Amino acid sequence: MIEFFTILCANAFRMGTPLVLGAVGEVYSERTGVMMTAIEGVFLAGAFGGLVGAFLTQSLAMGFLIAILSGVIVASAHGWICVYLKQNQVVTGTAIAILVAGLCAFLFRVIFGVPLMPITVTPLRELPIPLLSSIPFFGRVLFSQNLLTYFMFVFVPLAYFVLYRTSLGLVIRSAGENPEAVEVAGIKVNRVRFFTVLFAGGVSGLAGAFYSIGFLGMYTDTIIGGRGWIAFAICFLGNWNPKGAFIGGIVFGFAEAFAISMQVGAGSAIFPNELLIALPYILTIVLAITRKAYNVPAKLGVSYGIEK
Amino acid sequence: MKTKTIDFLLFNIGAIFVGLAAAGIMLTFLGENPIRVYSLLFTSVVRDRFTVANIFVRATPLIFTALAFAVTFKAKLFNIGAQGQFFIGCLVAVGFSLYLEGFLVPGVGLVIVFFLTLLGGGIYGGLIGYAKARFNANEFLVSMMSTYVALGVSDYLLRTLLMEARGEYPQTDTIQFYRLPIFVGGTRLHIGFIIAVVIAILVWVMMYKTTLGYRIRTVGQNREAAHLAGINTKRIFVIVFFISGALASLAGFTEVNGASYMLMRGFNSTIGAMGIGIAVLANANPISIIFVAVLFGTLIEGGMILMQVAGIPHSIIPLMQGFVMVSVLISYYVRTRVATLREKHRLQKAVGI
Amino acid sequence: MENPYVELLHVSKYFAKVIANHDVSIKIERGKVVALLGENGAGKSTIMKILYGLYRADEGKILMDGKEAQITSPREAIALGISMIQQHFSLVPVHTVTENIILGNVRGVIDRAASEASIRALSDKYAFGIDPNATVASLSVGEQQKVEILKALYLDSKLLIMDEPTAVLTPKESSMLMQFIRDFAAAGGAVVFITHKLKEVMEVADSVVVMRGGKVAGTLQKEGTNEQELAGLMIGKDLIPTTGGGRSVPDDAPVCLELNGVTLQNKGEVSSLEGITFQIRQGEVFGVAGVSGNGQLELCEVVCGATRPTGGSLTLNGEDITGAGINERIQKGIGYVPSDRQRDALVMDMTLAENMMLKSIDDPKWKINGLLLSERKIDRLTQQAIEDYNVKAPGPRAVIQGLSGGNQQKMVLARELISGERLIVFDQPTRGLDLGAIDLVHKTILAQRDAGKSILLVSTELTEIFALSDRVAVMYKGKIQGILERDKLDINRIGLLMAGYHDEEEEAASV
Repeated sequence: MIEFFTILCANAFRMGTPLVLGAVGEVYSERTGVMMTAIEGVFLAGAFGGLVGAFLTQSLAMGFLIAILSGVIVASAHGWICVYLKQNQVVTGTAIAILVAGLCAFLFRVIFGVPLMPITVTPLRELPIPLLSSIPFFGRVLFSQNLLTYFMFVFVPLAYFVLYRTSLGLVIRSAGENPEAVEVAGIKVNRVRFFTVLFAGGVSGLAGAFYSIGFLGMYTDTIIGGRGWIAFAICFLGNWNPKGAFIGGIVFGFAEAFAISMQVGAGSAIFPNELLIALPYILTIVLAITRKAYNVPAKLGVSYGIEK
Repeated sequence: MKTKTIDFLLFNIGAIFVGLAAAGIMLTFLGENPIRVYSLLFTSVVRDRFTVANIFVRATPLIFTALAFAVTFKAKLFNIGAQGQFFIGCLVAVGFSLYLEGFLVPGVGLVIVFFLTLLGGGIYGGLIGYAKARFNANEFLVSMMSTYVALGVSDYLLRTLLMEARGEYPQTDTIQFYRLPIFVGGTRLHIGFIIAVVIAILVWVMMYKTTLGYRIRTVGQNREAAHLAGINTKRIFVIVFFISGALASLAGFTEVNGASYMLMRGFNSTIGAMGIGIAVLANANPISIIFVAVLFGTLIEGGMILMQVAGIPHSIIPLMQGFVMVSVLISYYVRTRVATLREKHRLQKAVGI
Repeated sequence: MENPYVELLHVSKYFAKVIANHDVSIKIERGKVVALLGENGAGKSTIMKILYGLYRADEGKILMDGKEAQITSPREAIALGISMIQQHFSLVPVHTVTENIILGNVRGVIDRAASEASIRALSDKYAFGIDPNATVASLSVGEQQKVEILKALYLDSKLLIMDEPTAVLTPKESSMLMQFIRDFAAAGGAVVFITHKLKEVMEVADSVVVMRGGKVAGTLQKEGTNEQELAGLMIGKDLIPTTGGGRSVPDDAPVCLELNGVTLQNKGEVSSLEGITFQIRQGEVFGVAGVSGNGQLELCEVVCGATRPTGGSLTLNGEDITGAGINERIQKGIGYVPSDRQRDALVMDMTLAENMMLKSIDDPKWKINGLLLSERKIDRLTQQAIEDYNVKAPGPRAVIQGLSGGNQQKMVLARELISGERLIVFDQPTRGLDLGAIDLVHKTILAQRDAGKSILLVSTELTEIFALSDRVAVMYKGKIQGILERDKLDINRIGLLMAGYHDEEEEAASV
């Protein structure tokens, strides 16, 4: 039982990693006032770019780099249309998600044709940290993870520090609360918003690559399957704070890990498989109803522009 | 006013062309000549009456999911969950059609199934509105997630309660009795399309000619003013989501009882998203939605034929749709910009002289 | 001759729908206060936003010490020593004072302690008494303005532009601000003071630039001009003040609205209304004076039913309406002209006709056979209102956004006077209007009074309260500080009550 629980917790951190990364990216973007509703598409682009990069160069590092780049490219389209062209963020995100879905499937065909063998790479391996990984329980849960999870452990406190302790973070937080204040202080709000969206895109692209080259070692058109939206939801449920995003991401990672272990184990006799798969989504609905949102950026979803 | 309408048409048509051209450029990566591919697409969709009729068959559910998004959009609410409400609609339609099989005259049975479907999807959608009204839950998140829940329910039922008698695949038996009549002989075009057009017109009437529609639009434009005018905004949230869910579920009714006569896993898994695209292109106007849905129907049918006859990958369909949607969004910006500059120029000229 | 500090030369600015500025030239000298006087929409803010780099001029240039300056963004303006305090403050309410002041002015990791210390020192130097650690949302409007001023001082500004700074202040705070401005100029700084109040101009300015319709109507020295001349330049014609307000209503006139100990207290918060008790008789204008944000909005919303009080009761013509919703109160004849008409009264993207229907949606007069809406009927009734109230609009189908503020307000009046059969609540009914429209609103209010309706008039403009009211209540922190009869109105007493002092005479009388 303890063994089962240890694996479950370790998997929670593993499966939670991309969710945390995506949610923190989304927190940054939304703190400036832009909902990166294209996040599902950004995840997909990251997964796709990651696999293509890793397969063609035979290097996972290049794969992750190209994943980040893919995320930035998709986010730049979203940012440009939402920030500079001032179109509705929800609608834009949906349009881009459809486009990216088509684009990835299409480019896969362009690059690989109709492959006879599945296109696979060896995914990221676990990298136990010497000494630390031998601590009972915590060693297995926290210190026997892959590089991406370790990166997440460093990234979250850093993201928190930048947001709350630096001038850049102050500008980002102000941009979503009162863009006029930022503009009057001599900083171009829309530039802040655009580049923050790019940042969020890069982080989410990396998160997306987790599913292809960090975990499965392959790519399918449905590989993301709504997890981008889960990250989007975690940003809300975590009250627009990197800490909340971290906790939320791990909770959802736990739900996913639980579902996986139940599917493989004897659980499917008790719970229908479909219910287990739907668990994170049900959890989102329950939390969206029961949790009180505070910290909502005052100008979330409102584009900024003065008549020129 | 007149220039505005002309601008709207001009820019939208222009944007559709630009979007298709962008998808065309992608085709060159496959070594295809886009002009040849597009001429093949547009000639083959009109090659015979069966294919032409198919365009309208494909447009039918899209009209419903687009209306579903448009109705909430008018109230500045977002129902991203039309896909899920569609699944619920499919389940109710196929479930009751099979359950009532043989008991009723087809006409009566269809009417009953129609209303049950509408009710099922309406309640499923209405719950989102209720969560919004009662708990101030974010309707965008809840509706988005409700799709995945509906998908889970659907997949579960398809391998248990609703599974075919043979027990081989996760799909239902075929509906024999309650099929929507086909009104163009030798094609698959069923009266579901006519129902969709009539309902689109009814939605237009509701939106612009009734006090309910007026209330919905007012809530969408200015919630504060609506509240101070004595409009119960929370009740509007529930009503709008009920209507939206009901509309989306009717797509399930026409698809199940009009086109496929059965339900299987992964059935029409993108029509919710396409509905959003169509509603945006149509500026959420119910009448325009009919035409844009037919355009999307053409692209789908054409894309299918391209796959069969020219080996073009199926992903060309979302690619074309995606590019068209994005370029329409860009054109919205350009259109308002042009109008602004035009007015400014006129003003400057008036002053300068 | 020495070049002036800042000189705007022949600046023009065109927006899509209006000419904001046309051929505007203004000189600003060190050590002097320039008052920029004009009505709403005269282009005062726009010209200063051009100087501050928020807008780009279409024509003309800016000289600083005789040399042409390229100011394309506030960043450059700040570097040149220019600061501008916007009419609607550019503060982030959820952030602290320090965070607001250092926004955009620090690099890298924030040294919170050091920033706080320097701001505290600055605040102490000017005796502002602002806690650098406080959240802006927790400060009063007057204190928020001090934060804005601190921001300018922190940046060591040489030119301070203030847009309508006294609109939100009590008389005492205003005079303190005037003193600060004089001190700032005396120390060698330059000040541009945007206002539409003649009195303030005479009080603080060295020179006056009067603007009308986007153009400079006159540039004068304060010595050698007077309020009459300025008013004439400002509105382009002579000003005839509204008369006929203020009369005593007989004691036996029936009571229309009565509030009895009305209290509004949200969980865990200080009460925004506390024990409000008063009566309004038929045909009476009951004025409510006070600095904005002292519970006036809440009072109006409690009366029209948008908010339910947590204690006390309301009656209308003797009938208890405490539990009645908005709709019910509209039916009973309460009209409401809110202060923020664009947010609370109008649907800006809808047509005039659609806005006319807003308060009486279910009325059969809009419909065919009581079922579908009739565009013909709606248009006809709206056209009638357009003519009755002399609204300048292309027609009933025009979108209301395109109308000027005054014409928008006329449409609100047209609607609310119909639905307000017994009582009409006016909250700041002339805010942001030009003098012609103000006059019409005042005459309308008096006409409604003469027709026997009761009026609850909330205003922060004392002149308006004095001109129209039969009795005046003063609100401070959600309480009524005192109710003055018409013949006992006195600006000094009201000023004291507005600042929270109790009226001894009043107290003595009530004991």
